[in-house]
Amino acid sequence: MDKKLPISCPSCSAGLKVKSLYCENCETTITGQFELPVLLRLEPREQNFILDFIQCSGSLKLMASKLNLSYPTVRNMLDDLIGKIKNLQHHD
Amino acid sequence: MIKKLINPFYYIAGLKSLALGLAIIILSSTIGYFSHTHFPSIISIKTSPDMPLWYFIIQNLINWLTISTFMYIAAILFSKSKVRIIDIYGTQALARYPYFPAAFIGFSEALELFGKYILWTTLKMGEPVEISNIEIMVAVTLIVFSLLLTIWLIALMFNAFKISANIKGSKLSIIFIIVLVISVIITEYLNYQFTLKLY
Repeated sequence: MDKKLPISCPSCSAGLKVKSLYCENCETTITGQFELPVLLRLEPREQNFILDFIQCSGSLKLMASKLNLSYPTVRNMLDDLIGKIKNLQHHD
Repeated sequence: MIKKLINPFYYIAGLKSLALGLAIIILSSTIGYFSHTHFPSIISIKTSPDMPLWYFIIQNLINWLTISTFMYIAAILFSKSKVRIIDIYGTQALARYPYFPAAFIGFSEALELFGKYILWTTLKMGEPVEISNIEIMVAVTLIVFSLLLTIWLIALMFNAFKISANIKGSKLSIIFIIVLVISVIITEYLNYQFTLKLY
């Protein structure tokens, strides 16, 4: 089963931070307070969109044909994503 | 399926929708020529006088070009996205497909007869007309049908503009209404002048 990385608090909806990291190999645990990178704070479908976009060499035309959507639909998705990323970076 | 009927532009835009849309516009004009149905503004269906085929085609092209041009200007002014001209003109051409079935309306004589009947009974204009109850029912059904097609056309034009210009929220609705009203007035005027020159 694929576990979904929680990015917001289920109780108050605030953004979550990383408190501990664990090494499976030597069982070392590092504790502290780390920010999640911007890309990890996106929804899984948005992360998949970015992966598809990179795999299409950044071509919206290729993306549109791969997703069976029109060019402006894909461009609007990208513009929405750019807006969201700018917003996340602004709040950092 | 319903999404494809109300918002086909989610899946199709650009050159593909332009080619399909222009084919539909020319087909609607040709059927309109035979059925004596014309479209004297972007959202109007009327029975037409005897005119050559190219009159119907040019009238439909005027409607499409006018709304597309105003929408393109609005998109340049208000959109934050890189808007492609081919998407605006292409999706607006395809948005006119509800007027393809509308072009068949004129094949029924009931509508013209009903119009003459209303003119005579309310304004005493023209000549007395005899009309049966069935003909009245057919005419009313056709009027309701054309009204529904016009609502469908407006919904399609709205969705075409929303996707090709990427404008959202109340800004989208306000800009769309303004562009629609301006285009109705201008196409009505242009088509009126165009018809006058042919008489």
